[in-house]
Amino acid sequence: MTARSDGLQRFLLGLVGIGLFLGMWQVIGVYRLAGLTWPPLTDVLVFVADPSKRTLFARAITASFIAVVTGYGIGVIAGIALAMLGRVATVLKPGLDRLIAVIHAIPLVALAPLFMVAANRDSTPASIAALGVFYMIYVATTSGLNAASAAHRDVFTALGASPVTRFLRLELPAALPDIVSGMKLAIPVAFIGAIVGEWFGASRGLGLLMVSAMQNFQIPLLWSAVLIVTASSLALFGLMSLVERLTYGRYQ
Amino acid sequence: MSGVIKGLGRFLSNYWGVIAILVLWEAWVNISGLNAIVLPSPASVFLDLASAPGLYAANAAQTFIVALLGLILGLAGGIILALVAWASRLLNGLLTPLGLIFSCVPVVALIPIIARLLGYDMRTEIAIVAIAAFFPTFVFVGAGLRALPPGSDDLFRVFGASRTQRFLRLVLPAAVPNLMIALRLTAPEAILAAILAELLMGKSGLGFMFREASGRFAMERAFGTSIIATITAVICFGLVMAAERRVAARWQ
Repeated sequence: MTARSDGLQRFLLGLVGIGLFLGMWQVIGVYRLAGLTWPPLTDVLVFVADPSKRTLFARAITASFIAVVTGYGIGVIAGIALAMLGRVATVLKPGLDRLIAVIHAIPLVALAPLFMVAANRDSTPASIAALGVFYMIYVATTSGLNAASAAHRDVFTALGASPVTRFLRLELPAALPDIVSGMKLAIPVAFIGAIVGEWFGASRGLGLLMVSAMQNFQIPLLWSAVLIVTASSLALFGLMSLVERLTYGRYQ
Repeated sequence: MSGVIKGLGRFLSNYWGVIAILVLWEAWVNISGLNAIVLPSPASVFLDLASAPGLYAANAAQTFIVALLGLILGLAGGIILALVAWASRLLNGLLTPLGLIFSCVPVVALIPIIARLLGYDMRTEIAIVAIAAFFPTFVFVGAGLRALPPGSDDLFRVFGASRTQRFLRLVLPAAVPNLMIALRLTAPEAILAAILAELLMGKSGLGFMFREASGRFAMERAFGTSIIATITAVICFGLVMAAERRVAARWQ
C-alpha cells in the first residue's frame, strides 16, 4: 500500500517536473529571455500544425522515417543473425567479436565518406543508422544467448534434446529480454544515424531541414524539426519500454 | 611448421571478419567500376596523411580538447545535479523523470538549436558536448547515490555516523562505479558530438575538415580525416577504460 502511494507520488512529481519544464520553455520564449532564437512552445506547436507547412514536413518526415525504419530493420536482423551465427559456429566467434569491436571504435561520422562513395548520398542515412543499431543488437543478443543457466542446459541435454531444439526452446527464449532491451536502446541510435547521414548531403529529410533552418535563421522551422525528431524517438522508445516490460514478465 | 599453421589459424579465427570486409570492399570497387577520384586507394590516403601531418594533428588536438572540456563540464554538472536531487526529495521527484527523458533523446538533434542559441563559437561546441554528457551522468550517478550496499546504511547509523559522515564515507563512494559507467557511455558520444558540432558550425577541428574535404570532393582528405577521427576516438576510449580499470581495482 505504501509502496503504491509512494509510486503514485513519484509519478505525480515527475509529471509536475515535466510540466514545469514545458512552462519554463513557454515563459522563456514569450519574454525573449534567451533572445530571438528561443520561440515559445505554443509557437512551435502552431507551426507544426500549420496546414501550409504540411507538405514540407510530410516530405521530410517520410524520407527520415524510411531511413530510420530501413536502418533499424537491417541493423536488428543483421545483429541477431550474426550473434546466432557466432553461437552456432563457435569457430567464427572470435573473428566476429573482433570485427564488431573495430566497427564500434570508428565514430559513426567517420564512416560517412565511405558510405557516400560506396552507396549513394540518399542511402547514407539508412546505412549509418543500420550500423549503429547492428552494434547494439549484436552485443545485446550475444549476452542474452548466454543467459540460460547451465542447469537448464544440462536438463535439456540429459533429456536428449538436440542442439537445435535446445537453441529454439531454451536459449532463444532466454535471450529475448536482452534482445528487446537492446532494441529499445537502439531506437535513439537509429535516429542519430539517420540525422547524421542526412547531414552528409541527403536531398531531403528532417536532418536536412534542421540544418538549412539553422543556417537561414528560420527559428520556428528549426525548433519544429527538432521537436518532431525528439518526440518520435521518445514515443518509439516508450513503446519499446512497454514491450520490454511485457517480455520480462513473460520470459523471466 | 605446425606452429606457423597454428599461428595462422589463430590469426584467421580472430580477424576473418575484418579481412572479409576488406575483400568485399575491394571486390565491390572492382565490380562496380568506381574510379579512383570517387574512391581513393589506401595508398593515396596515407600519402595525404603524410603530406599534412601538422594540419591533421592540430585539428585532431582541437577536437580532442573540445570533447575533453565538454566531458569534464558535463560530468561535473551531472554530478552536482545528482547530489542536489539526492539531498532533496522534492527536487529528486521533479528532476529524475526529466533527466531520464533527456538521456533518451538523440542529442545530436539538439545541436542545431544549441548552435543557434549560443552562436557559432568554440564555446558552443564545448557546451554541446557538455549537454550530451550531462544527462546520462545525472541519471547514472543519481541511481548510484541511492543504490547503497544492503545493510550498510543501517550499520553506519548503528555506529552513530552523522549525516555528513554517512554522505562522505558511504554514499559518495557508492556512486563512483556508476560514475565510471556514465563516463564509459558518454566518452564516445563526446567525440561524436564534438565532431558533429564542428561539422555544422566550426571553422576548425576534425568535423570542419570533413565538411571542407567532402565539399570539394577531396576524398583522400575525407578518408584521412576518418582515420584520424577513429584514432582520436580509440585514444579517448582507451583512456576511459584505463581510468575505469583503476577505479574498479580501488573500489572492489
